[in-house]
Amino acid sequence: MKPYVMGIDFGSTTSKTVILDMDGGTVASAVSHKGSVSDEGAKASIAEALAIAGITQKQVIRAISTGYGRRMLEVSDKSYTEITCHARGAIAMVPEARMVIDIGGQDSKVIAIDALGLVSQFAMNDRCAAGTGKFLEALARAVGVPLEDMGPMALRAVEDITISSMCATFAETEVVALLAEGKSKTEVLGAVHAAIAARLVGLVSRVGKREPLVMTGGVAQNPAAVHHLEKALGLKLIIPQRPQIAGALGAALIALDEAREHAADAADEDDKVDASLDAARCGTPTCTAPQARVTEQVIHGPRPH
Amino acid sequence: MSVDSSVQGIFAAFEAAAENPLASSRAWKAANGTPVVGSFPMHFPGELAHAAGCLPVILQENHEPITVGHGMIYPFYCGYTRSVVDQACKGDFDFLDAIMFGDHCVQVLGAADVVRAKLPNTRVHFYQLISSMSDPWSHSRARETFAGLKEGLEEMIGRTIDNDAIRASIRLFNRNRQLLRKLYDMRRSGTSPLTARQMQLAVKSSMVMDKAAHSALLERLIERLEATAATRQRGVRVYLSGHFCQAPKLGILDLIESCGGIVVDDDLYHGQRYISTDVDDAGDPLDALAKWYLERNLKVPCPTRVDQNADWETYLLGAMAKSKADGMIVLMAKFCEPHMYYYPEIKEAFEAKDVPHLLIETEHETTALEGIRTRVEAFLEMVKRQTIAKAAAAARLETGVV
Repeated sequence: MKPYVMGIDFGSTTSKTVILDMDGGTVASAVSHKGSVSDEGAKASIAEALAIAGITQKQVIRAISTGYGRRMLEVSDKSYTEITCHARGAIAMVPEARMVIDIGGQDSKVIAIDALGLVSQFAMNDRCAAGTGKFLEALARAVGVPLEDMGPMALRAVEDITISSMCATFAETEVVALLAEGKSKTEVLGAVHAAIAARLVGLVSRVGKREPLVMTGGVAQNPAAVHHLEKALGLKLIIPQRPQIAGALGAALIALDEAREHAADAADEDDKVDASLDAARCGTPTCTAPQARVTEQVIHGPRPH
Repeated sequence: MSVDSSVQGIFAAFEAAAENPLASSRAWKAANGTPVVGSFPMHFPGELAHAAGCLPVILQENHEPITVGHGMIYPFYCGYTRSVVDQACKGDFDFLDAIMFGDHCVQVLGAADVVRAKLPNTRVHFYQLISSMSDPWSHSRARETFAGLKEGLEEMIGRTIDNDAIRASIRLFNRNRQLLRKLYDMRRSGTSPLTARQMQLAVKSSMVMDKAAHSALLERLIERLEATAATRQRGVRVYLSGHFCQAPKLGILDLIESCGGIVVDDDLYHGQRYISTDVDDAGDPLDALAKWYLERNLKVPCPTRVDQNADWETYLLGAMAKSKADGMIVLMAKFCEPHMYYYPEIKEAFEAKDVPHLLIETEHETTALEGIRTRVEAFLEMVKRQTIAKAAAAARLETGVV
């Protein structure tokens, strides 16, 4: 039975799965849209990828998960953050990349890559949905345009309108006010995309602009978002084919690294804090660590409510 | 107070005081008849209050939502000042016999004004400590301020405070500092891998408990920890920095360690800054306190003080090397101006030296930690993968195999 590795990007709005053979060749990839952190969505993308590859889960010798729901998947052997996985995936897609912008559903990230192809710095949006896919989604709804149509429509905007609010809720109020002033949907959508680009410029400046700059994530497929980002950053973005699967591809490549280098055990070992030893040194009387199973990560202190 | 003297029992006592500082000091006052003096953290010489027969208690940010205090202070002030104002408005400080406030930053200044207005029947003494530390007149000015504090306390208790009594209090406080330093040393060297939560409970309780009682617990704790063999720790060695006036939320410390970080050292809030230097217990006590105030800042710099001979980023790089930390996580209380002012220099210095670091802003209202978890995990992954790659590159260079 031929072995394979799998990467699953369990995102907040979509789930992506990539299956690689042991030479690193992509044998299948699948994207599933099933709503917020949907277990059903993750399962659907895994099932679809397995079907495309024509293999069973048993042939997957190592699976790595990433994304918002990364710790919720039973099929996964280990999880890594989106930062690590998107960087790994983007470097595989564009080896010369020195910076990655990923706009996901719940968060946007700017990642600096060093000469070894590793993450050297990163910045994430830390204020609610500002500058994320959710921001676009909320404003598409406010304007009354389907999400997939908003990009092409926004590209036709000619006026220079500014939406200044960072918060999606306040921005929505601004959008409604602009529509009430008689601005066309096209113009308002242009302003929405310029606003998201402005948020990203802030994140880029925290890390320091570097080129070549690759954009990954679902929003990279939106031509207006790309146009406004390029305009705001004053450079040309590299958009890989299927930017949405970069995270899942990165996860699969890490799975491949660990499977090849027999590093899986060591990597797993890192995650297994010996509960009994660890609990013994915790003096907090309300600590729930002593009740943890041996292989569980120990979190000291009372269980959060 | 009878305390279970096991390690767990001692930490339970620390937790009870640290997490409910007002209730525990009120209980101490009821049991011992001791007046309670509240203060802001860091620069108040608790020794003077102790020598006056009082219990000095450093006011803490609590976990309650800010409600009635919201209208009294700007929402863009830090969580500590907003929480202190809220507690004052809710009457939580009514049992205090005096409050002694210093002007550490403009937000603290604003909070002190509100507290003074809200508690007209409480003795509020406001002092201004010189913040320029290396001028020829810095020592005499600091001594003058401490003399003013002594006078304020004397007025409150209706008698003079004896120099011998101050020296005795200095010795008691020094003992507590030495024991806490020992605890930090044990964690740094790995002889006793205390969790970040445990260290915080030990330090925070020292800010609110009677020093003799606290030191007795620390002595027993250290004895017991020394008798226990240290276990090998796995994970990324992390140095925590920042969060000056208030202790970070325990949930954030737990989160960092549950993501695979081992907190090996820190310069968080009151902790190392306050205990880094002993006060001279011979000679004139006010001179000794002034000297301590100025010298301490050279050991662990405070961003609210200006000293031409102190450099925070150089200190941080040295402290990281000393504790063999792999990376630094900066915890910044949102809207903390002194920290925000210095952070760009720290960032630049760390980037120039290629030392991994991560900035996390915290708020009084922080409840959802998931976003912070992703950033901490990503940071630890980054440090781990960088370390492995650099070690592999070094090995290739050594063996000549490319």
